[in-house]
This record gives sequence, structure tokens and C-alpha cells, in this order.
Amino acid sequence: MRRAPLLPALVFTIVVTQIPFLLTIYYSLQSWNLVRPGSQHFVWFENYVSVFADSQFRGVALNTIIMTLGSVIIAVILGLLLALLLNRHFIGRGVVRTLLVTPFLITPVAAALLWKTTLLDPTYGLINFVLGGQTIDWVSEYPLASVMAALVWQWTPFMMLLLLAGLQSMPGDQVEAARVDGAGAWAIFTELTLPHLRRFLELGIVLGAIYLVNTFDAVYMITQGGPGTASANLPFYIYQRAFLGFDIGQSAAMGVVVVVLTIIVATFALRLVFRSFGAAGSES
Amino acid sequence: MAEVVFDQASRIYTPGAKPAVDKLDLTVTDGELVVLVGPSGSGKSTALRMLAGLEPIDAGSVRIDGRDVVDVPSKDRDIAMVFQSYALYPAKTVRDNMAFPLKMRGMGKAEQSKRVADAAELLGLTEYLDRKPKALSGGQRQRVAMGRAIVREPRVFLMDEPLSNLDAKMRVQTRSQIASLQNRLEVSTVYVTHDQVEAMTMGDRVAVLRDGQLQQYATPSELYDHPVNAFVAGFIGSPAMNLLDLRRSGDGVTLGGTEVPLSRAVRDAAGSAETVTVGVRPEDLSLDAEGVGSGIKAVVDVVEELGSESYLYAHMAEDESTTLVVRGPGRTTVRYGDTIALRVNPDAVHSFDASSGERLPG
Ligand SMILES: Nc1ncnc2c1ncn2[C@@H]1O[C@H](COP(=O)(O)OP(=O)(O)OP(=O)(O)O)[C@@H](O)[C@H]1O
Ligand SMILES: [Mg+2]
Repeated sequence: MRRAPLLPALVFTIVVTQIPFLLTIYYSLQSWNLVRPGSQHFVWFENYVSVFADSQFRGVALNTIIMTLGSVIIAVILGLLLALLLNRHFIGRGVVRTLLVTPFLITPVAAALLWKTTLLDPTYGLINFVLGGQTIDWVSEYPLASVMAALVWQWTPFMMLLLLAGLQSMPGDQVEAARVDGAGAWAIFTELTLPHLRRFLELGIVLGAIYLVNTFDAVYMITQGGPGTASANLPFYIYQRAFLGFDIGQSAAMGVVVVVLTIIVATFALRLVFRSFGAAGSES
Repeated sequence: MAEVVFDQASRIYTPGAKPAVDKLDLTVTDGELVVLVGPSGSGKSTALRMLAGLEPIDAGSVRIDGRDVVDVPSKDRDIAMVFQSYALYPAKTVRDNMAFPLKMRGMGKAEQSKRVADAAELLGLTEYLDRKPKALSGGQRQRVAMGRAIVREPRVFLMDEPLSNLDAKMRVQTRSQIASLQNRLEVSTVYVTHDQVEAMTMGDRVAVLRDGQLQQYATPSELYDHPVNAFVAGFIGSPAMNLLDLRRSGDGVTLGGTEVPLSRAVRDAAGSAETVTVGVRPEDLSLDAEGVGSGIKAVVDVVEELGSESYLYAHMAEDESTTLVVRGPGRTTVRYGDTIALRVNPDAVHSFDASSGERLPG
């Protein structure tokens, strides 16, 4: 009874998340193409079979993995370097920190547009300008890398803030003890800083991956998944199938597959993170 | 094995402010255990950290075995330090914590584990070697911190209040363990504490600091018997020495209507001063057996019975504001409110200049 006030929220959550999911499962068992009205009929798991037989789907799944893990790992490494920099005292540290955080505050669509037009454009993009007037068409020659560049740019500040918090929570006396024990800067970093940051790194990777696996805006804005499906990821591919190919049954089946896979991976990843934070909690 | 010299060493945290350590001169001879003691904020930790290389030396120099270490980073000073917080590495096991200084010096794995095993044996840590620090009790962590310091056989040990996180009984036990360990290893040691009992029981020599300035550097008995000023006199000893500003009269000073004689040398040194600060330790005041007839009359405020002895806190019968501590026998019959008569042992009176606090010679 004490929990009764939570009931409306629970009902609302079920209505907006579970009912659409059940509907999606229902659609995924239908052969239903919007271009052919009246064609809708029940086909059991035929859609799932064709999803797994679809070589494009497998390629796109691989793209998704590369895009998600690649962006997260590069962002974590860059974030770590910047956090180490910001953990030192220097004049203007506050300003530098604010400037470094701004990419995270920009709307993803605006950020993607910024990369596509201002930075990567073959004729008036800043990157070609800096490279001495080159005319490389980044977006069509390196489509996946272009999308990832924008994602890394947006996510580095998040990793940086997370790791900076980690660095600042590091007890100073341990570092002093290590210095007296004969450790140089590199040994302190590998022997003390990295173990201390481990759980912050894990958290950053898991949160970043959960978020980035759903990337749509950057792909849509920068490459439209092209050329072909060279830079498409699963959310974009499903969108293409549903709203450009109008194949509701197929795309619903893909959606279900993706959701199930994501849930499995996320559960393991989150369990890992909570375990290391739980263990750390009992430490102090 | 080393000689440590502080030569006019100073540390000024904020330019223009009073130095936290002010022109410290101190020599620790080979194998000696020197205790730095003083009230909170007196600069003990700062002095130790200057020697450790964790705090810059703003003026003067610090030498280890004749080598000026002002510009030598901590890792090259060949010292080992035990921190008040122990500063164990939480992600490493006890074994790896203790092996860390050896690993950092590139010692072979076999030699590392031999040394760690020896140290663990010595400190009774053998069965905990595979645990992480968080799974140890406070006393065990303290021993791991000690172990991490001794495995390396450094030239100097530095300890900053290593016992302050232990309970009273453990503290007494560990205190003597550290002293005997240091004796055995014969490594020069600088030990910081604010507890004068620790200082007196452990130190070969004790340096008393106040506001960053060295007051006196001497053996415990010398500090106790011949404090150079009223501050040291009041700081060393528990309960503290009775320090009273008394008026001169005749060949001494008056205390509670009776005259406490002062030696000729003291009287000469005091010159024409009207008052002298007189210090008498609680054990140099005795209860007058003849009862209330003669002696200094005082009224008892508190009786502390410790079993083997007792301490009477009293105020002068004729002057409420002057209080005294007296050591009495273990089974005293004196109670709160009683009037007692006291006698001063004239040979044990310390005299200090009333304005500067300096000891009057004699
Ligand atoms: N990082 C710092 N910045 C500025 N002042 C400091 C700093 N550390 C210490 N001080 C000042 O220097 C003086 C000496 O400090 P220190 O820590 O050496 O005292 P201590 O004798 O060890 O005292 P305690 O017994 O409380 O540990 C104090 O007045 C303190 O306020
Ligand atoms: Mg201190």
C-alpha cells in the first residue's frame, strides 16, 4: 500500500514501453509491407529467418560494433589524457575545462551537422583547409570514420569529466607513499592511478556503449548510412527498412533481435560495473 | 645507516607568512631514534615531510650522510616512511604492498619474496599476505605499513604519528615493538608524535617544537630534569609541571604564605625582577605528614586515583586562582574539599624568567 502512489508512474511506463514492444513482436510475426495494402498475414518466424540470412544485416551489425566500441574506446583514451591534464594546476584551468566540456552540451544533430559541413566538407571544410587546401571527400571516402569522429568528439568530454572525478578522488597520501617508495611518474600511473580508475573506466565504457549503440542522428546527418550500407548501423538500417522500404514485418523482427541482444550485453556489463563499485564501497 | 642533518632548514607555505618550520637545526646520528614532539600545528609533520622530499625546503639545507638533498626527489633519497593514515595501496595485496618499494628499485623476484617473507614473519603478518588492506584490522594495517618500510632496509625511517589510529592498549604495545625493532635494525629514525609519553619512552633524543621553532633537543631525562624554558617544562611530563608566577621575598619566593628558597645562582640571574616563574613537578610536592599545621595550604578539587598513585588537583587556600597538581600515594585518604598542607622539595624547583620564560641558570 505504501507504494500505491507509484502506481500511475508504473502504468505509464508500461504503456509507453512494454505495449509498443509487444506490438513490435506482433508485427515481427507478420508479413506486412505498406506498399502492398492487404498483403498482411501471419508468417510465424519467417522474418527472423530472413534477418539472419540477410548478409547486409550482418555487415550493419559489424558496423554497429565497430562504431560503438571504437568511438567509446577512443573517447575514453582521449578523455583520460585530458583528465590527467586537467588534474594538474595551471593558469586558466577553469577556462580550459569549460571549453573542453562544451562538445557534450551541443545537440547531437547540431554536432553532426557541424562535422559534416564545417569540418569535413571537401571544398570548404576546415580539416582540408588545415591540411593545406586538400580536397579529400572525407564523408564518402571514410564514411564510418567520419561518423565516429563526430561521436568521439561529443563523448570525450563525458569520459573526461568522469575520469577527472576519479582522479580527484584518489587519496594523495598513496601517491606520496609511492614517491617515497621509489616510484616515478609512470610507475605511479600504472601501479596506482590505473587500478584506482578501473571502475571509472568500466563505468564510462558501459554507459558510453549503451548510449552509442543507439546512435541515429550522426549517421542520418553525416552519411545517411552510405555509401550503400558502409556506415549504417542497426538503428539506421531498421529505420531505412521501415520508413524507406516500408517493410514493417522485417524491420520489427530486426528491432526485436537488436533489443534482445542489447539487453543481454547491457545486463552483463552493468553487473560488472555494479560489482566493482559495490566492492569499492565496502573498502572505505 | 645514516646521519641526518637539518641545517637552518625552513619551510614557508605562503610567502610573507610565518614559517611553518623556522631555521631548524637538528642532527640525527647513525642508528638513533629521534622524536619530534610538539603541540598541534608546531611544524612536526612539515619538518618530516621536508626530509622525505614531499615538501620543498625554502631555505637552509637538509643533508643525509653529508649529501645535500634539497634538490633530490623523494624516490632517490633512500628513505622509508610510515604515514599516519598508513597510505596502503588498496588495489594490492599485503604481499604486493610490502614488495612495492623493492619492485620499484628493480630487485629480482626471488629476493623480493624472500625479504617480504622475512618482514612478514617478523611482524606476524605471514597469514595475511594474500589479503587486501581493506580486509585487515587497524593494527594489522599499521604493521603492513611498518613492513613496507622495513623490507627495503632504507637509510632513514620516517614515521608520522604511526600509532594515533590505534587504541590505547595497542598503542603501548606497538610503541615498544617499534622501539625494539628500530634498535635491532639500527636504522636512523625520525618519529613524529604529539604525545609526550610516546616521545619520552621511545626517543634516544627528543626535539621539542613550538610554532616551527626548535625549543630543546636533548635526551628524555635531560628534558625532564633541565627544561630550557617554561614551555618545555610544561609540555614534557604528565600531569604537567606546576608553573606559578611568584613574588620574590627574602632568599626565595612566597607560595601560600611560606617561602620557597631559591639558590644563589638563580637569585643572581633573576636580578631585580619582582616575580619569577617557578616550576614544581607533581611528584616534588609532598603531603605534609604533620597535618595542617605547617606547609602550603591548599583545598582539594579533584582526586584522581590510578591505583599505584593518585593525583590531587587543588587550589591554594588563600588564592582561588592558583591551582596545583600533587602526586599522592596509591591509597590516599584525601577527599574532595579537604584542606591539605604541602611541602616543596627545594632541590627540585625549576626557575624561569617571568617574562621570557627562559630557564634561570643554577
Ligand atoms: N599545505 C599547507 N599550506 C599552508 N599551510 C600549511 C600547510 N600544511 C601545514 N600548514 C601550516 O603549517 C603549520 C605546521 O603544520 P604541521 O602539519 O607541520 O603541524 P604538526 O606539528 O604536524 O601538527 P599536528 O600535530 O596537528 O599534525 C601549521 O600552522 C599549518 O597550518
Ligand atoms: Mg602532523
